[in-house]
Amino acid sequence: MAVIKLCGLSDGCDINVVNRLAPEYVGFVFYDKSIRNVTKEEARQLRANLNDSIKTVGVFVDAQKDVIRDLFNDGIIDVAQLHGNENESYINELKKLNIPVIKAFKVSDKDSLIRAKESPADMIMFDAGKGDGKSFDWSLLKGFDRKYFLAGGLAPENVKKAISELDPYGVDVSSGIETDGKKDVKKMEDFVGNARNDDNSKNGRFGIHGGQYIPETLMNAVIELEKAYNYYKNDPGFNRELEELLNDYAGRPSRLYFAEKMTKDLGGAKIYLKREDLNHTGSHKINNVLGQALLAKKMGKTRLIAETGAGQHGVATATAAALLGMECVVFMGKEDTDRQALNVYRMRLLGAEVIPVTTGTATLKDAVSEAMREWTRRIDDTHYCLGSVMGPHPFPTIVRDFQSVISKEIKHQILEKEGRLPDAVIACVGGGSNAMGSFYNFVKDKNVRLIGCEAAGRGIDTFETAATVNTGKIGIFHGMKSYFCQDEYGQIAPVYSISAGLDYPGVGPEHAYLHDIGRAEYVPVTDEEAVEAFEYLSRTEGIIPAIESAHAVAHAIKIAPTMKPDQIIVITISGRGDKDCAMIARYRGEDIHE
Amino acid sequence: MSKISEAFKNKKAFIPFVTCGDPDLETTKKILLELQKNGADLIELGIPFSDPTAEGPVIQGANLRALKNKITTDDIFSMVKDIRYDISLPMVFMTYANVVFSYGMDKFFDKCKEVGMDGIILPDVPFEEKNEFEIVADKYGIDFISMVAPTSDERIAKIASVAKGFIYIVSSLGVTGTRTQINGNVADIVSKIRETTDTPCAVGFGISTPEQAAKMADISDGAIVGSAIVRVIEVYGKDSPSHVGKLVSDLKSKFSA
Repeated sequence: MAVIKLCGLSDGCDINVVNRLAPEYVGFVFYDKSIRNVTKEEARQLRANLNDSIKTVGVFVDAQKDVIRDLFNDGIIDVAQLHGNENESYINELKKLNIPVIKAFKVSDKDSLIRAKESPADMIMFDAGKGDGKSFDWSLLKGFDRKYFLAGGLAPENVKKAISELDPYGVDVSSGIETDGKKDVKKMEDFVGNARNDDNSKNGRFGIHGGQYIPETLMNAVIELEKAYNYYKNDPGFNRELEELLNDYAGRPSRLYFAEKMTKDLGGAKIYLKREDLNHTGSHKINNVLGQALLAKKMGKTRLIAETGAGQHGVATATAAALLGMECVVFMGKEDTDRQALNVYRMRLLGAEVIPVTTGTATLKDAVSEAMREWTRRIDDTHYCLGSVMGPHPFPTIVRDFQSVISKEIKHQILEKEGRLPDAVIACVGGGSNAMGSFYNFVKDKNVRLIGCEAAGRGIDTFETAATVNTGKIGIFHGMKSYFCQDEYGQIAPVYSISAGLDYPGVGPEHAYLHDIGRAEYVPVTDEEAVEAFEYLSRTEGIIPAIESAHAVAHAIKIAPTMKPDQIIVITISGRGDKDCAMIARYRGEDIHE
Repeated sequence: MSKISEAFKNKKAFIPFVTCGDPDLETTKKILLELQKNGADLIELGIPFSDPTAEGPVIQGANLRALKNKITTDDIFSMVKDIRYDISLPMVFMTYANVVFSYGMDKFFDKCKEVGMDGIILPDVPFEEKNEFEIVADKYGIDFISMVAPTSDERIAKIASVAKGFIYIVSSLGVTGTRTQINGNVADIVSKIRETTDTPCAVGFGISTPEQAAKMADISDGAIVGSAIVRVIEVYGKDSPSHVGKLVSDLKSKFSA
């Protein structure tokens, strides 16, 4: 990843925007022939408003050394960048004053590269000319073996390509983020966004998946949401408030528990359980909901709407709404209101209105459709609190970020307990939020296997399945491009699983991408296997998992014995299973009533 | 000039919508002939989708009834091919992204051209995602119709400046379905469109009375009526063509010449 330098800040530039974008460096031009020239006093004012973490670079062309020294000693600049004919002794004198120096070189031929490589400057920069915004032939720099800043002709459109082709230490931009000679907020955002983004998620795309396939009526709502999210995700106040809620209200961090009996019984890898079931409201859903509800509140929204399958996300949303004093409406498939009657009661108890959805298959898919319809009816005061890493951009990213606390904690906890990373992380996947949260901070650790367990229902060779990656094909639905269970004409299939929370015909776009690039595996687990695992974990460890999470437990039961005793598996127990007891009893032929 | 613009030439366009295959394709054909006979200027043909997220209960119902009858996209192409000689009006499809995407974009738009369709409306494909579809549609001379909504604001100029065929103005928030009152700022939207382009624009969502239709056509270039017609088809089933004909004739009766 390249560091970012936004250059040529001058009077009137919105420093709040710069602080929010948090580039590593900004530049002030002290050269009176430049249109971006600033006076010492202007620079002092800009520096005063700038966050301390951002370093300031003074840009000079054959300036008097004492001018540079004074600016440095006054704390206005941290680094001097030289664009004229400054020679080695000039540079060395500045260095003696402890002033870090960047020397810019024009890339014209091989000779200029040799001079750059041998320069005594602390850092070098390659440019096309005297900062005139023109690009040069990047191929000259291929194989150049000294760290450098790349400048000249960079813009939001080409910065990603420049970084991926040349891998520079940093990128420097000035005219590329201006419109009519003035810094342009949108271009600055785009430049920083594109330069930072190394996970292929530009415009909400994960490879070919993702996107924003929604009615025009909703477009400004998702754009507004994206802007607000990009602002608040870096806002220390917001993050402090969210962390307090997660810790003091939801009970984070959740425990990473060594399942010793299970480990012994299976006779293979060491098994740890990430106990999201111990969170307030009984599942991982609260992580995302507290984040989104707080964000919605900051955006001035007073009403939350949500879809729910098993009812866990609905209960979490109703809880957050009660806590933050917001109105709440939850859409739930009629079929699911019957399967999960207790959760319907909990939501109503928390003050939410629950609307049973009777259209289509009357399950999670239809609840999402109805929530989307409701959002087009009422946007001004309403935030759609989507419960999984799915739907139109920016939802898959927002939900993943709020859920990534799971893998952040796992990583920290397992390093503390075992001094090493796990060999496999296993989680169940419907839309995929607890799995994405469990995977995210391990994606770059290539030795950690990431395994998502899909609901195979009565089997992937039957029509009664919800194993999207295993049986679906690529399509466009519910705002995103991803894998979906569908027929040859693109009609969405009526999927089936014993688990209401996994009973969904699609999967989040980032999972589709992780599947495409082979970074994560997606395996099918049947109803029967899940129910057995549900009973097994209850009996063996005294932990009743949600039937959704039991799908992950089932796969661990299969692979743990094939692994060595010094290997480690982490299973995310996404929720607790109280809600499922009556249904599992019925599955086993025992008719109990709640 | 595309065939769609003929619908707006020197007149206000009346644009009825029907879901193909509700209650069956033979009835759809008869309905199309009635629409033409009773003053339609352009016809919107819905290809059913299992999960039509932009539709209210009436059109959702029509989609599901058609699918229950096992109507496929191929059946609809055949139906259009059969009836095209008898229908001289421009026709556009209205369906959802996945129906087109899963069929294969090239194959879909090639078929559209072959059977004589003129345009496509995809309510779940906004400006940001349209290139993927429009580039292929263009290849086969099919106009990709853009929509603007009451929430579009500063997006209107961007959308309108590159719009083809006609611009579909969504009259109000929410999904399709009849409304007693249309609360959207339609006149404002029209004037914003006019600042950018002369491409005709027609208003849909919520229009069910002759008065509403005439008023919306008056402030724009045409009125689109879906749910009110589909409701009649729902009630009368196979006997609906003559009832639809009468409704359309009524709906157009208050149009200024």
